Amino acid sequence: MRTVKRAKLLRLHFGESDQYNGKPLYEVIVNRCKELKIAGATVFRGLEGYGETAEIHRHHLVRKDQPIVVTIVDTAENLGRLIPEVEEMMDTGMIATSDVDYMRIEKPPTAGT
Amino acid sequence: MLQKGTAKKVTIYVNEDTQHHFVSLCDSILTFLLHKGVSGATATRAMAGFGAHHVMHTTKIEVLTEHLPIRIEFIESAEKVDELMPTLYDMVNDGVIEIQDTNVVKVANKERPTPPKGPHTEMRGTARLMRIYMGESDKWQGEPLYEALVKRLRLMDIAGATVYRGILGYGVKGHKHQSGRLGFSGDLPVMISVVDSEDKLAKALNEIESMMQDGIIVLSDVDVIRLVHSRPAPESSHANS
Repeated sequence: MRTVKRAKLLRLHFGESDQYNGKPLYEVIVNRCKELKIAGATVFRGLEGYGETAEIHRHHLVRKDQPIVVTIVDTAENLGRLIPEVEEMMDTGMIATSDVDYMRIEKPPTAGT
Repeated sequence: MLQKGTAKKVTIYVNEDTQHHFVSLCDSILTFLLHKGVSGATATRAMAGFGAHHVMHTTKIEVLTEHLPIRIEFIESAEKVDELMPTLYDMVNDGVIEIQDTNVVKVANKERPTPPKGPHTEMRGTARLMRIYMGESDKWQGEPLYEALVKRLRLMDIAGATVYRGILGYGVKGHKHQSGRLGFSGDLPVMISVVDSEDKLAKALNEIESMMQDGIIVLSDVDVIRLVHSRPAPESSHANS
């Protein structure tokens, strides 16, 4: 009954202030994932961090520049289509992939809910 | 010290006025249990009852208030009960001793002094990392699913779990989780990350799956480096010998 599949987990690390064509980069990436029919994408905002530019990303009074992590789980082929596009959009940041086992839970809504 | 898991529950029924070496039997049993380091024992006086002598004792009628039954209960590990039983058997000269298998679900002790913190030690090893994705508005029996899952994981003695709230995302349901115009939204993506050994997570997986309606669970192998405070060796059963 339970189907555990092998998949790839993709993590994109960049800053909240990063933009692409005037829109927040994380929004553009999530929208692009939807267009490419990627199974799912989630954006998390970190509290504080630093990256290759050695600039501390943290919450400023006027400027939002906290670290952002986008996690995406899908097959290696689908991610293969996404990664080159994301690479093109990202200015500075990090892309990491790892092998994972994943299971999708999708139950029919029970009566009464 | 009493541990979680299987244990024995001992119930002793005696009379209030039964004597053992000229003191109340109930008192001397409790003193004995305390002296032996039993984690806890409770004596309860009955409202009414009768025993092998077939005489009704009740608080309702003055004449019958003597010899009221007393029930002494304690829970201990099987080995400890085994160690105590010969003496208890000898002490209870009028009454009943009963032993049941029981399952200790929680042992909490607020006043237990925290052991002094030692220097940090490092523990390395491999483990599994589980990420559970769901929506913030998902419910389980009326409470937020992420809260219910964390409570369940804690009950199962899983090493640790952390809940993250995303700021944007989409998933199985296809709809977008996004915060509303004022920054308030009840349905942002939520992810719980859990790290523990493979077999413990496999057990937890069944529970988690039955509680979730939709979402995904992602498992990966990780290397764990844990910093723990080294503690003095835990008190073992020979502490009172």
